[in-house]
Amino acid sequence: MFRLINLATFSLLIFTSFLIFSCNKNVQQFSDPALSTPPAGLALGETIAARQTDSLYYRLMIKAGILPIINNKAATFTMFVPDNTAMKLFINAISGGAVPLAAPDAVFAGFITANIPVAAAVGIVNYNISGQALPSANIPATFPNLQYPTILNPAPTLSALLRLTTFPSTRNGAWLNNVPFTSVDLMAANGVIHHTAIVVVPPQRYLWDRINTDTTLTYLKAAINRADSGTAAPGTLQGALLNIGANLTVFAPTDAAFKTTLTGAIAKALIGMGVPPPTAVAQATFLASSPAVFNNPALFSVLTAQTVKGIIVYHIFGNRAFTNNFPTITTFYPTLLNGAIPTHPGVGLTAVFGVPFVSSATVKGVGNATAANIIINNSPLTPDPSGTSDQHYLNGVLHKIDQVLLPQ
Amino acid sequence: MKKYLTFLSFFLLTNIVSISAFCQINLISGKVVDGTTQQGISAVSVTIKSASAGTFTDERGNFKIAYTQSLPVTLVISSVGYQSQEIIIANIAAPIIINFKPANSLGQEVVVSATKVATRILESPVSIERVNAAAIRNAPAVSYYDVVSNLKGVDVVTSSLTFKTPTTRGFASSGNTRFTQLVDGMDNQAPGLNFSVGGVIGLTQLDVDNLELLPGASSALYGPGGMNGTLIITSKNPFKYQGLSFEVKEGLMHTDGSEHTPSPYHNWSIRWAKKVSEKFAFKISTELVQAQDWIGIDYRNYKGLAVSGNPSFGTRASDPNYNGINVYGDETHIDLRLGLRGIASAAPFLAPYINTLLASPLNITRTGYKERDILNPNTVNFKLAGAMHYKITPRTEAILEAFWGTGNTVYTGSDRYSLKNLKIGQYKFELNNKNWLLRAYTTQEDAGESFNASATMAFFNEAWKPSGGSNGWVAQYSQAFLNAKLNGASDMDAHTTGRTVADVGRPAEGSAAFKTLFNTVRSIPIYKNGGLFIDKTSLYNVEGQYNLTSAINNIAEVLVGGNYKRYVLNSEGTLFADSDGKIGINEYGGYVQVAKQVFDRLKLTVSGRYDKNQNFKGRFTPRATAVFKLSDNSNLRFSYQTAYRFPSTQQQWIDLQVGGGIRLVGGIPYFNTKYNFATTPTYTYESLQAGTPQLYNAKEFKPETVKSFEAGYKGLLFNGKLLVDLYGYFGQYNDFIYRKVLVQSKTGSPIQQSDTTNGNAFSVPVNSVEKVKTFGYGIGLDYNLVKNYTIGFNFSSDELKDVPTTPGFFSYFNAPKVRINVSLANNGFGYKKLLGFNIVYKYQDSFYYQGDFASGYVPSAQTLDAQFSIKFPKANSIVKFGANNLLNQYYINAIGNSRVGGLYYISFGYNLN
Repeated sequence: MFRLINLATFSLLIFTSFLIFSCNKNVQQFSDPALSTPPAGLALGETIAARQTDSLYYRLMIKAGILPIINNKAATFTMFVPDNTAMKLFINAISGGAVPLAAPDAVFAGFITANIPVAAAVGIVNYNISGQALPSANIPATFPNLQYPTILNPAPTLSALLRLTTFPSTRNGAWLNNVPFTSVDLMAANGVIHHTAIVVVPPQRYLWDRINTDTTLTYLKAAINRADSGTAAPGTLQGALLNIGANLTVFAPTDAAFKTTLTGAIAKALIGMGVPPPTAVAQATFLASSPAVFNNPALFSVLTAQTVKGIIVYHIFGNRAFTNNFPTITTFYPTLLNGAIPTHPGVGLTAVFGVPFVSSATVKGVGNATAANIIINNSPLTPDPSGTSDQHYLNGVLHKIDQVLLPQ
Repeated sequence: MKKYLTFLSFFLLTNIVSISAFCQINLISGKVVDGTTQQGISAVSVTIKSASAGTFTDERGNFKIAYTQSLPVTLVISSVGYQSQEIIIANIAAPIIINFKPANSLGQEVVVSATKVATRILESPVSIERVNAAAIRNAPAVSYYDVVSNLKGVDVVTSSLTFKTPTTRGFASSGNTRFTQLVDGMDNQAPGLNFSVGGVIGLTQLDVDNLELLPGASSALYGPGGMNGTLIITSKNPFKYQGLSFEVKEGLMHTDGSEHTPSPYHNWSIRWAKKVSEKFAFKISTELVQAQDWIGIDYRNYKGLAVSGNPSFGTRASDPNYNGINVYGDETHIDLRLGLRGIASAAPFLAPYINTLLASPLNITRTGYKERDILNPNTVNFKLAGAMHYKITPRTEAILEAFWGTGNTVYTGSDRYSLKNLKIGQYKFELNNKNWLLRAYTTQEDAGESFNASATMAFFNEAWKPSGGSNGWVAQYSQAFLNAKLNGASDMDAHTTGRTVADVGRPAEGSAAFKTLFNTVRSIPIYKNGGLFIDKTSLYNVEGQYNLTSAINNIAEVLVGGNYKRYVLNSEGTLFADSDGKIGINEYGGYVQVAKQVFDRLKLTVSGRYDKNQNFKGRFTPRATAVFKLSDNSNLRFSYQTAYRFPSTQQQWIDLQVGGGIRLVGGIPYFNTKYNFATTPTYTYESLQAGTPQLYNAKEFKPETVKSFEAGYKGLLFNGKLLVDLYGYFGQYNDFIYRKVLVQSKTGSPIQQSDTTNGNAFSVPVNSVEKVKTFGYGIGLDYNLVKNYTIGFNFSSDELKDVPTTPGFFSYFNAPKVRINVSLANNGFGYKKLLGFNIVYKYQDSFYYQGDFASGYVPSAQTLDAQFSIKFPKANSIVKFGANNLLNQYYINAIGNSRVGGLYYISFGYNLN
């Protein structure tokens, strides 16, 4: 009996122990794949630091204080980096030749440290960083170019979301805006690096600033003002050319081009009114001799605001087109005129390439007998305000042309 | 020996009982005492043999019984748990003291609910479980409601401490409409809320006479419904159970402090019954429970809509679309692309970049609040009940009875609901006679300040900061998200930034601002963008029954009956589509039952009922049972039953926007018109998910039926020491009712898979075109050991067979395949047998739970309940030390519900008859 009781007691103890030590399971928990570990390898800043040929830009990055940001492996960036050769060209230029190209690297580095303001360094570096991974395979070859926001916000107080944009493209090569890449796809743990042939500086001015101040674009300025007459401020062309959020390409007929076109048009109108041709030509030449032609009340019935606006918007794309991305076979693209006339064929673009830059380019209006020539920079990559093509601004790009484009 | 005892009894009685043969007072008085403790035993039946006179002992065991015959007369003394005695009274001069001896009651109980005719439980034609008052007293359970969970085949869904829903034969849920609960003949389902309120409102602990559980579609006698089972709770008759009783139970919860600091549990109950005369008796009882409830702390991420979803990986830190199960307000799903597109429109220079982010939905949710922050764990439950019984004739009793209760508790239905100041009253008038019954009752429901947790917090968020608008939560989130993305942030970091910015100023949990806004929103009706649901629905029921057996000269036992039921839905548009006024629903039905002893060993019972609801076609449902007697104490039972249930009031008329962006609607044709299901493209959710949009085609919504075959055996073996109960069943449901999720185009144009989050989601009850089959079996063994020790074991299993493959079908078949209960008890040992104990071990295995609030795997669980008691006979008192979930091993029995932890208590009870 005792044995039986002992057995029962023992069994009870075992049973109780089993209960106490075998707790009820909690509900099923799931491992979280979203919580991934940081990628292995060097971060962007570390990658550049390790490259002797990028030492000057790395110095600029230090000056800009960007390293903590680009070394954050939880974030992803694409960096456009000029190597030491490009940096030396840049420093040589901004120093006015004070730092000769043959100077030792230490001199360039010292210049960066001593002479380039932090704000300028931040502007350059931030303008050359996009907050996304963009290997060259993912850079589109579409035209006009897609814009990619950089991490540079030129006016944070205006909007936290404001960003300057860049325009990488793999059309006709590989470019950042109109600057060729020298190499692509240097992969880092948190992004990718593409090297640029020169330092790509952020644009400083608006399209209107160029039009408003360029002594060879006075007719264009007057025409824009004429087109805007009677239009409230937010909707004016000038407003668009001053809008940082705009993204435009302006084919800017020079004053000479305007004179030629206006003289012909006015003379034709006068002849149509019965004025003898020689007189008509003389009067037309006189009337078109200055930009005031657009303010001449006598011509208001001919150069109506709507007519002028129609002509001006025919010179503007609603996106950015650098010549290096132009088609090599004439292709028509819509202009802002298509906003009013959706079926209009637009203008025809053609580029002829040298190595590696465009040697000539044309833009053809439907009403023009011949295509207008884009006045290509004397020296490739000539920046604002000295150049005539691929002049880059906060809100667009400008190419001077030698004809007024006629939509019909 | 027997002869000797009889002789001894007679000898003792003739010596201690002195009755004057010449006395003219026709009254016998005496006392029934426990043979061991000499404690007076209450509620013992004392009748005069061969006469209609009868009475019960009072709380001290005393009785007085009038007689008209001349002496000697024979008194018959009986009570469950004691040996019945017959005593010849020849002299009434001296007080009569009757020593009552405990008896083996195993299998000796009489049940009524199976056939509405008193039947030995061994001979019941259907499976039945009975728990009497003594068993409740000795059970290791803090509440009589918990005792049900110890019965075989029973699943209990615990929404909260005071809200437990038992069921049988699978399909466990908080608001189980396939399982009927009757308290003194009244259906205690809240007529509008559709859950049985037994644990909250109903009988008080001290007023429960017995529980009878009929698993399965066991009876035609209790109206349509009860397809899966019927629980019949009967209160104590004041003629029988008299005097003052009270019990003070003080306990402790949250002892490990994991969810809440240790907190007390209070349960005080009192009952007073008085037999004023042989014709009139009354009773009044009340009970107060107060405790800090368990809280739902399942913060797992819930993916998917309602029942079709699943707990999944992801947290608020890792998933912007996180929707925590017990987190509320985060059911508001928003496609962030809406905000980003707005930015792209305003800032074209960002449009190309933004477009790269829009390839697929960027679903996010509003930031929610945890259950512990919004549901007050302070549970208070107050019950008040009373009844007046008047014997019009010795065989006809009139009863006027009322139950009223109020309190705070938490319920899980299609959402988590805080039932705050819920009030439910049930009022009954009944006339019952040996041969007939007439009963009328009403249930009056008032949801008080009850609110829906998800809706409240969704509207709380909107009240604090609207999701929409140019400076709304989504706009702020989008801008900050985009800014972070533009700065190279990962998606998740950008989401975190976006949320942080959008949540600036969000009322902190528990802050004054939070409380003010929360109290405002929860007090606003749902249809006015708050969380309050108003429900003042009523039920009126009249029923009658007549036993024709004697009228047909006992050719057969024949019962006929019928009932008329009227619901009056009144939610003022907050729960039902009754914003234009109250909605009435009428039902009526009738039944007949014929039982016949065909041979000595075979008794057949055939019954059937016809029911009609104004919204549905009428239907006749037949049933048949057979009991084959193997021996006096062994019976085989067979039954074929068809049962029928009308869709619940909510399945007919609900019109409620709930968490997850789903609107629950009823299944009647009214809603097809109201929500243009036929004219506006409306798709089944699963077809959209599958990428093959399929238009919803509304069909006639029909009541659900079940055909059930069952066989069982119940018998006493080993000289009556072992009670064996076996059963097995097979059930087949036709027109099985389940809910189907629909997505309706917001624009009126056809939509595709990717638009599901932008569509209006509806959940509609529909009938399954496929049959749902279930089967199960169980065994129960109870063995009387020596010295009052008893040991019990039961095992049961329920399974779903041939699960329908219809896309979007959900059976809600919630049942473990293995349930085991093991008990060891002794209700009298030690000094004068004054000590008692009871230990119950329960185990159930893991199962997949499907619910409108949440679905997922419920882990296996084991619990140990125990109690130890000491009787104090002179004080007619008992002290009990007990524990529910002694080992404090937290468990759940439904997804989304609070975890159930340990509850330790000590109680002092007086006159717990």
